[in-house]
Amino acid sequence: MTATTTVVPGDETSRAPSETQWQIVLRRFRKHKIAVVSLVLLVMLVIISALAPVIAPFPRDAPSLQTRFVPPFTVDSQGNFRLFGTDHLGRDFYTRLLYASRVSLGTAFFATLIASTIGILLGMIAGYFGGWVDIVISRTLEVVATFPTLLLLLIMSSILVQNINSIPIPDFFANFLAWVFAVSPREARIIFAVILVLSLFGWTGTARLMRGMVLSVRENVYIESSRALGASNVRILGRHVFPNALPPMIVDFTLGINATLVAESALSFLGFGIQDPTPTWGNMLSFAQSYMFQHPWMPLIPSLPILFCSIAINYIGDGLRDALDPRQRG
Amino acid sequence: MSIAFRRAVIVTLLAVLVPILAACGGAAQTEVVRETVVVVQTAEPVRETVVVEQTVVAEPEPSAPVTGGAFTTPHPILSDINVRQAIAYCTNRPELIASVYPFLDEEQQAGLLMDTFIPKSHWAVNNDVTTYPFDPEQGQALLDEAGWTGSPTRSNADGDLLALSFTTTNAQFRQTWSAVFIQQMAACGIQVIPTYAPGSWWFGSSTGLSRRDFELGAFAWVGQTDPAGRTLYACNQIPTPENNWEGQNYMGWCNERASQAIVAANNTLDRDERIRQYAIVQEEFANDMVSLPVFNRLEAEAASNRIQGYIADPTEYYTANIQEWTLTDGDTVVLGFTQEPATLWSLIESAAVQRTAAFLLSYPFATEYSYDYQAKGQTELSTIESGLATNEDIEVTAGDIIWNIDGEAVELAPGVTVVDANGETITYESGTVTLKQLVATYNFVEGQVWEDGEPLKQADFELAYSINCDPDSGAVSFATCNSIAEIDFSSDTSYTVTYLPGVQWPTYFLAPIGAYPSHQEVSDGRLLADVPASEWSSLPEIVEQPLSNGPFILESWEKGQSMTFRANPNFFLGEPEIKTVVVKFIADTNQAVAQLLTGEVDVLGSETLGAGPEVETVLQAGAAGDIQAFTIASSTWEHIDFNLNIR
Amino acid sequence: MVAFLVRRIFQMFVVTIVAALLSYGLLYLVPGGPVDALLAERQNSGQDRINQADIQRVQQRFDLDVYLPFRFTRWLIGWPSGPLFGSVGADWAIGCQTPGQVRLVYPDGTFELVEEGCADYLTLAELEGRRVSRGVFFGDFGVSQVILRDRPVSDLIATRLPYTLSLMGASILLAILIGVPIGIYSAVKQYSRFDYTMTTIAFIGSSLPSFVFGIFAILIFSVLAQRAGLPFLPPGDAVGVRDYTIPWIGTVQAGSFLDRFLRFLMPVSVLTFINIAGWSRFVRGSMLEVLQQDYVRTARAKGVREQVVITKHALRNSLIPFVTLLAGVLAALFGGALITESVFNWPGLGRLFIDALGRNDYNVVMALLFINVVLLLIGILITDILYTIVDPRIRLG
Repeated sequence: MTATTTVVPGDETSRAPSETQWQIVLRRFRKHKIAVVSLVLLVMLVIISALAPVIAPFPRDAPSLQTRFVPPFTVDSQGNFRLFGTDHLGRDFYTRLLYASRVSLGTAFFATLIASTIGILLGMIAGYFGGWVDIVISRTLEVVATFPTLLLLLIMSSILVQNINSIPIPDFFANFLAWVFAVSPREARIIFAVILVLSLFGWTGTARLMRGMVLSVRENVYIESSRALGASNVRILGRHVFPNALPPMIVDFTLGINATLVAESALSFLGFGIQDPTPTWGNMLSFAQSYMFQHPWMPLIPSLPILFCSIAINYIGDGLRDALDPRQRG
Repeated sequence: MSIAFRRAVIVTLLAVLVPILAACGGAAQTEVVRETVVVVQTAEPVRETVVVEQTVVAEPEPSAPVTGGAFTTPHPILSDINVRQAIAYCTNRPELIASVYPFLDEEQQAGLLMDTFIPKSHWAVNNDVTTYPFDPEQGQALLDEAGWTGSPTRSNADGDLLALSFTTTNAQFRQTWSAVFIQQMAACGIQVIPTYAPGSWWFGSSTGLSRRDFELGAFAWVGQTDPAGRTLYACNQIPTPENNWEGQNYMGWCNERASQAIVAANNTLDRDERIRQYAIVQEEFANDMVSLPVFNRLEAEAASNRIQGYIADPTEYYTANIQEWTLTDGDTVVLGFTQEPATLWSLIESAAVQRTAAFLLSYPFATEYSYDYQAKGQTELSTIESGLATNEDIEVTAGDIIWNIDGEAVELAPGVTVVDANGETITYESGTVTLKQLVATYNFVEGQVWEDGEPLKQADFELAYSINCDPDSGAVSFATCNSIAEIDFSSDTSYTVTYLPGVQWPTYFLAPIGAYPSHQEVSDGRLLADVPASEWSSLPEIVEQPLSNGPFILESWEKGQSMTFRANPNFFLGEPEIKTVVVKFIADTNQAVAQLLTGEVDVLGSETLGAGPEVETVLQAGAAGDIQAFTIASSTWEHIDFNLNIR
Repeated sequence: MVAFLVRRIFQMFVVTIVAALLSYGLLYLVPGGPVDALLAERQNSGQDRINQADIQRVQQRFDLDVYLPFRFTRWLIGWPSGPLFGSVGADWAIGCQTPGQVRLVYPDGTFELVEEGCADYLTLAELEGRRVSRGVFFGDFGVSQVILRDRPVSDLIATRLPYTLSLMGASILLAILIGVPIGIYSAVKQYSRFDYTMTTIAFIGSSLPSFVFGIFAILIFSVLAQRAGLPFLPPGDAVGVRDYTIPWIGTVQAGSFLDRFLRFLMPVSVLTFINIAGWSRFVRGSMLEVLQQDYVRTARAKGVREQVVITKHALRNSLIPFVTLLAGVLAALFGGALITESVFNWPGLGRLFIDALGRNDYNVVMALLFINVVLLLIGILITDILYTIVDPRIRLG
C-alpha cells in the first residue's frame, strides 16, 4: 500500500504536466465547431429549463377549454400570445415544454448515470478478474440483453401503480428530485421509478464496452508493475484501469443520454412512461400525435426539442470522441 | 464451477424478484387465526349471510356495513352524502363532454348526458329522478354544511384536507376529461390526485377495482339491451375481503329499497314490472349519489358515400343488415376490422370482430337494434305474450333437478337456495316448493338453406345442441345448456325447450341453439355430424371455412391481412346486391383513419374508430361530403364511483 | 479453438435455457390474462355466467393449472405428459386446479377470506390425454391459444415471416448501402460541410421515436398528397385488396408488383432512415481511427495517391470491425420492427408479437421470444468469434 507512491506510467503523479492533457482535449474539441455550438445551445437550454418556474408565462397544468388547439405564434381568444400554441386541454405548449425539458433531460441524465455506473463497475470487474467471474458476468449480461423489454415494462408499471412506495425512496431524496424536476414529491417518486426502469436496459452495452477496454488495458506493463509492488486490486482498478478506460466511457455516456431520451418518449407512447399532467416531451408527443389529422402542427411542437437535444448531444458525443481519442493527433 | 456460479446468479435474481412478488400479494397478517374453508364448486361460501335476514333494518344508511367484515369502516369523506352530492353539483358534465368532443353543439352534448345508470334512449330509463345540474354554489354550500371549509383546499375541523385520490385507466380519452374534472373539483376546494393505471391493473381480477382499491374511480359500463344490474347494485354484491371479493358493487352501496327492487327486476319476465322496479333503483341511485354517471361515449362509424342502407346503432353490429346494403357504384365493399377474428366458430369466440364477421356467414335469429329485440330468422320472438312460451308454476320436491340462485343445475336438497314463484329467495328445507318453469317454442323462418343448397333441417339443430353443450367443445360458459331440462326437436323449422324449474332467463324469447350443416363432409371423408366436439375448434370446415347460410360465402382468408367474401347465390332471401366484401385487419387507429380518408377502406365500425380524437376527423370528412359519418350515443357510459368504505 | 467453441456453445445453451425460463416466468407475471378476464365476469348473472368448472376448463386450455416449472418443461420438451414411465407418480401433485381459501379471523372479530394454498391438486395422472406440444426443443411451438385458436403457432409465424424478412432485409441492406459510404466520406472529409450535413441527417433519423416518422410519412405522403391531387402512396398494408388510381401513374392493380412496391416504399424508407445513423456513425468512427494508423501515414508519406490510400489501405481495415456488427443483424432480421410494423399495418412478426402480447396468446409470444433469444445469442457468439479472427490481439477467453 505504502509503496504505491512510486512513479508508475499512467499514475496521476507521473503526468506532471498532465493538466495540459485536458487542455489538449479542449483544443481538439473546439475544432469540432458544431459540437461547440451544440454544447453552448444545450447549456442554454438547461439554464432556461432551470428557470422554468420563473419564466413560464402560464400555469403548467390548468386546463382552459376556451383556448384549445391555438396554433403557434398566434393570439388566442383571451388575447394571450401563444408562442408554441396550446394543447388539447388549452394548456400552453411553451410553458409545458419548459417544465418538460427539466423532467425529460433530468430523467435521461439520471437514468444514464445509473446505467453507466452499473455497466462500468460490472464491466471492470469482469474484464479485470477474468476467469469464472468474467463468465458469470458476461453470461448474465447476455441473459439480461435478451430480456423482453415490453414484458418487463408491463410488470413494472403495474407494480408501481399498486403502490408507489414499493420502491423505498427516502423523503429527502424524493424532495431533492422534486426540486430538480420542479414537480411535487409524489410526481418525483413516479419519475424516479421510470428512471429505474429506463436504467435497467442501458447498462449491458456499457458493461461490454468497459470489459473490452479493461481487457486491453490490464495487459499493460504499468499494471503488472504496480501489482508487483503490492497494490490492491481496488487501487489498481481505481487509479490505473479506470482512468485509462474513461474516454470511451464519456462518449458512451453522452450517447446513452440520447438513447434514453428517445426511449423515454417511446415509453410514453406505449403508455408506460411518466403520466400526464407531469409533462415530458414524450408524453406530450404521444398525446399530440393522436390529433395529427386535425392539427398536423401539434406533433411537431414536442418533436422539435427532442430532435434538437438529440442532435446536439450526438454532436457533443462526436466531438468528445474525436477529442479524447489518444491516437488522433493535432 | 461456472454452472454453480450461474446458479448463484439466478438465485440472486430471484431474490430480487421475490420481494417484488411479495409486494404484489396481500399484506402480511399478524396474530390472526387461520381457518381453512372448504371450497365448493362456486367458491362463494359467505354468500347467504347478507341475503334476506338483513331486511329487518328499517332505514339503513347507504353504507350500511356488513357485520364482522374487515372492510366496514365508512370512508371519512365519501361516506357523507353531502360531499358526494357536492361533487356531483361541482361537476360540469357538459364541459367534460366538450373536453373530449369539442365539435358537438350544446344540444348534442346534452344528448350524451346521463342521470342514472340506464341510457336515455333505453326502454327501462326513469327520467323522473333527482338530477345534479352544474351548480358550484350549491355544491360549495353542501361542503360548508358538511364541515369542509377554507381555501384553496378545504379542510375539516381536525385540519384534514379535503383531498381524494382518483383512479382510472391510462387511456388518453380518460386522461383528457379527468384533467378537466380535477380542475372543476379544485374550483370547489376539493383536491383530486389522479392515478392513471394500466387497464390490466385497474380491471384485474385481484387488483384495482375488484379489490376496491380506490376512492374516486372512473371507468365505463356497457349498457345492454337487457339492463341486468343485480350484481352492480344489490346489497349482497359488495365485494369484501370476507366474501372473497365477489360482486361488482364496487361502491359498497347498500340501499335496501334499491337492492330489493334490483333483485325483483331481475326475477321477473314481465317488462312492465321490470320498468317499475328499475325506476325504483334509479330513483335511489340518484338520491344517494354513490356513482356519478358522467356521459355516454360518442362513437363514430363511417361508411363510403357509395353505400346505401347502412345502419349505425348502439347495440347492434353494422353488418347485421349487410344483405340489404346497395352500392351506387362498383360491387365491392371493404370493411376495416380492428383485429383478426380468432376463429369463425361463434361458440368459442365472442369478440366484436368475430360477431361482425359472423353476420356475413349466417342469418341471425334476431337482431338487437335500439336496445330491443327484433325477430329475423325466428318467425317471431317467442314471448309469453305471443303464446309461444309459458311460465307456469310447478311444484318441486327434494331430489328434483332445479336451478338454484347461483345459476347452477342442482338436485333440490335441504340447504339449497332458490328463488320461488313469488320472486322470494328461500332456502329449501323440506316438503314442496313452487317454482316457475319456462317452456318456449322457437319457430324459424322456412326456406333457409346452406350455401350448397341443402336446406336447414332438424338434424342440423340436433347437431348444434349436442356440440354446443359438449364440455369438450371449448366454449366458456355452459349456463344455457345446463339450464335446459329437455329439448324437443319437432320439425325442420321448430323446436321446444323446457327449462329447469327456477330458470328465468330475461331473454328466454331468443332461440338458444343454432344449427350446423350436419350433412357436410370434412376433408378426411367423415360427416360433420360424426366429428367429436373436441376436434371442432381446430376443424378448418368450422373455424376457417364454415359453410354459410348467410348472405355471403367466405372465399379466402389471408392470415393477418384480409378475408374476402363473395355473395351467396343460394341465400334464401336472394343473392345480395354487393358481390364482394373484403374485410381488412387494421390495428392502429391512425392507420385506419388514413385508409378511410384515402379510400382504401369503405367502412369503419365503432370498435375500430373508438371514441378518441379520430371521431372528429371522421365527422369533418363527413361534413365535407367525402364519406357518410354516423355518430352514436354509445351504450358505453363513463362514470365515477365513490368508494363508501375503507379498510 | 475447438475447446473454446465447445465451451462457448455449452454456455450458450445454458444461457438460452435461463433466458427462456426468465422470459417465460415474466410472461405469466404480466397482470391480466385469460382467467383474469373471466373472473371479472364471474358475477355476471346472465346466460353467459361462468362457474368454477368453466374457469378450470380455461385454465386447462392455457395450461395455467400446472405449476410454472412444469408448465415450462412441458413447453420446452413436452414433459411431463402423464405419469412417469407410464405409472410412476400418478398421484404426484404438479399443479393446482382450485385454489384454497382461508378465513383470517382478526382479534377484533373481523375476518376476511383469502386465497391460499390449494384445495384441489392436479396430479400427473390427470395430465394424461391433455394436449401438449412435443416441445420447443424439438421444434414444436404448440398451438396458438388466441390469435388463431387451436392452430399451430408455426403456421402463424410462417404467414408473417416473409413480410418481416423482406421489410427488415431491405431496410438493413439499404441502410448499409447508404450509411457506409456516408460514413467513409464523412471521415475522410472530417469537419467538412458534407460531414456536417450528412451527420445531421443521420442524427435526425436516430433522434425521434420511430412512430413519429411513421405518422408524419402517412400524413404527408398519403393523406395530404392525395387531398392535394398529387401522386400518393397507400398508407399501409402489404398488399391492396382492390384497384386504385394514382394521379400521373394511373390505375394500380391490387396484388400487382407495382401495388406491393408502392406499399413497401414507406415502411422501408422509414426504417432505413432510422438505421442509417448507426451504420454511418460506426464506419466514420472506425475509419477515423484507421486513418491515424502508422501504415496509412507511411503510405501517404511514400506518396501513394490519397484515393488509393483510402480504398486500398484504410477502407479495408476500417471495415474489419464492421463485420462484427453484422452478427447483430441476425436477430433484427427476424425480430421485425414492433412499432413501425404496427404504424404501417405491416403483417410482420413485430406486429404479431404486440398483438399476441395484448391478447395473452402465450404460446405465440414465447415462440417469438425464444427465436429472438436464440438468434441474439448466436449473434453474440459469432461476434466474439469474428473478433478473434479480425483482431489477433484478443485472446479467446
